[in-house]
Amino acid sequence: MKSLTKVGRKRRVSAAVAVAGVLALGLAACSGGGSSSGLDGKTLKMYTWIGGKADRQQWSDYIAGGKHADPKMAVSFSGPPINDYYTKLPTVMKSSSAPCLVTFQNGRVGQYVQGLEPLDELAKKNKVDLKAYSSAMLEQLSVKGKLYSIPFNAGPTVVLYNKKLFAAAGIADPKNDWTVDDFIAAAKATTKDGVYGFAIPQGSNPISTIMAADGHPYADSKGPKLDDPNFKDALQLLVDLSNKYKVAKPLEAAAGGSFPDIDAFSTGQAAMEMQGLWDLQHEQQALGKDNVGIAVIPSKTGTSKGFIGGSGFGITKTCGDKQKAFKAIEAMTSKSGLEYVTKAQASVPARLDALDAWSTNVGSPAFASVIKQMTGDATPSPVPSNQAQLDTLLTQYEVNAFSGKSTVSEVLAQVKAGLAQ
Amino acid sequence: MMSLRRDLVGNEVAGGSVAPQNRSRGRLHRRPLGGPRWVGWAFVLPGLIGLAVFIVIPQVASLVLGFSESTLLGGIEFTGTQNFVRLLRDPQFLNSVLVTAIFVLVYVPANIAISMAMALWLKTRIAGRNWLRVIFLIPALSPMVANAAVFRLLFQKDGAINQLLTGIGLGPVPWLSDGNWALAVVIGVSLWQSFGYNMIVLGAGIDSISPDVIAASRIDGAGRLRRFFAITLPLVSPALFFTTVLTVIGAWQTFAQAYVITGGGPGNSTMTIMLYLYQTAFTNDQLGYASAIATVLFVIIAIFTLFQLWGQRKWVHYD
Repeated sequence: MKSLTKVGRKRRVSAAVAVAGVLALGLAACSGGGSSSGLDGKTLKMYTWIGGKADRQQWSDYIAGGKHADPKMAVSFSGPPINDYYTKLPTVMKSSSAPCLVTFQNGRVGQYVQGLEPLDELAKKNKVDLKAYSSAMLEQLSVKGKLYSIPFNAGPTVVLYNKKLFAAAGIADPKNDWTVDDFIAAAKATTKDGVYGFAIPQGSNPISTIMAADGHPYADSKGPKLDDPNFKDALQLLVDLSNKYKVAKPLEAAAGGSFPDIDAFSTGQAAMEMQGLWDLQHEQQALGKDNVGIAVIPSKTGTSKGFIGGSGFGITKTCGDKQKAFKAIEAMTSKSGLEYVTKAQASVPARLDALDAWSTNVGSPAFASVIKQMTGDATPSPVPSNQAQLDTLLTQYEVNAFSGKSTVSEVLAQVKAGLAQ
Repeated sequence: MMSLRRDLVGNEVAGGSVAPQNRSRGRLHRRPLGGPRWVGWAFVLPGLIGLAVFIVIPQVASLVLGFSESTLLGGIEFTGTQNFVRLLRDPQFLNSVLVTAIFVLVYVPANIAISMAMALWLKTRIAGRNWLRVIFLIPALSPMVANAAVFRLLFQKDGAINQLLTGIGLGPVPWLSDGNWALAVVIGVSLWQSFGYNMIVLGAGIDSISPDVIAASRIDGAGRLRRFFAITLPLVSPALFFTTVLTVIGAWQTFAQAYVITGGGPGNSTMTIMLYLYQTAFTNDQLGYASAIATVLFVIIAIFTLFQLWGQRKWVHYD
């Protein structure tokens, strides 16, 4: 009896070990990191945001630009819409199917550096001249002195305006020295017949842009400057545009990452919006190419500075061939590669030496002067590692300032308390 | 209503409990269907692996992570009970428990009442009742995220609902800019989405009541209300118990409606526990703390479910 029990026990132990082994193998397969990791044969896998046809076309154009510079380059891409991208990115970077290349927007690398390869050494090894890129962007895409992403697009935030609505209201096109008062006057004049003069964006981007226009960075190395009076003034201006001047629809509760301002502008329900230049092409398609103008961000004094929020490519730590991945980035962000992209895309190239091609292919002289002012004299600002949390909390709490339930100071105190959790 | 019956292998069953087998038989070694023991395991193994990989391992991993400080891309540092102590002092978490509790208290009774009322209505001889059942079930079959996105547009300041209300002199209502109204919207959309499923289950329970019993009660002179409370409700109680348990569990786990319609706002007025958990894990990158929240949510749901299982003996009739 005793030996039979022992045999039974041994069998049970063996079975348990076998099951555990199978499970362990399965789980180990999830960790990734082999020499082919992040590649599909010879093709590098890139994970990026794809919200629809326009995004898909954008990435196809960058890959075509890279191929133009280096015919051997092969990159495929996949990913979710932008509002899901940053929440899925860490999970994807940890998975067995982790890509080699990832993309970042608005300099948001801070939260992901643990899964990213620093690029300084690779740039040195491949003799890439980093001075050719916008220095404000390189600063945004670096953390503690290490560069984690090479910029391809330096799209500054600008005011996009509906030319037909401006003309109908008898308003002249904004000049590069327009002030906040001029902006409010234009918004008042265009607010009529169910159309608002301005569409307010959610989150921190409009605040950081308004602050940057007057030379105040919205964040420093410690994080967002919620105690800075300029931060409060910027949010107060947005609230006043709705509640005091009645030229904008008040913000309501909405899911983070949605863009009610873009929807309002592209459907002709608002005469102006404040967005990154990446939105220009979409608006031109929606409202007509000659019907969309761009203007500098209005400032208190009339000497507006830009807020840079462009995008870059990064390499994951698990990438099986980091040299190949860097060569692909080098090709896609090369002068000839980015010049090629300007034939199809309105976004501003991150390389200063490709700006002329952008002016020729996409912009008008008026566009070029706005971009030069916004990129040439930008207010440098680090992007805090808790940027996603800041945007989420601002989106939630700022609604109370628009509804009159809280003051702007109370909203900022609530956001500060949330960030401290 | 309590009676004795025999289950499939001949045990006496009383009020849902199984009477112990004759002890003198000892441990049952016979396998009624014959064949070696591994055949049985082979049948069970795929299910067991699925249970282990998708339920047990993630649950255990989440429980363990709750005692650590970890990020999605970084390492794990065990911090003992620190996360659970922090939860007790976290006003955002305590608020999310309150918001979810209000949601459960309003949503569950309303859902059951509406589902029961609709199931009773569809039991009457109205034309096209089968079609109506399908129509009422459609919201439950369509994706919540898509539904919620449409409702967000409808409830905007200048959305269709406010235009309608303004047209009859009752609007506009600050649906998405006032915390109380926003929570009402989230509850309302959740009800619209889910009552169809419970309606079908309760309807099946009502349909299974023998017409003879109803006829007998009519002959005895029972009115509609008396018939409902003395006949229908006791006989449909197993289905009612089933729907209540699942509805309570689902209510504590509410996520998509708040995520898509309000994002937890205005302020934190619609911040459910699941939404706070999601934000903590994926926006704030605090995986350990989020796992502690998941463990507490699991305990809350387990307590409510066990309480319901215990309470069912007093009001659920299986015969």
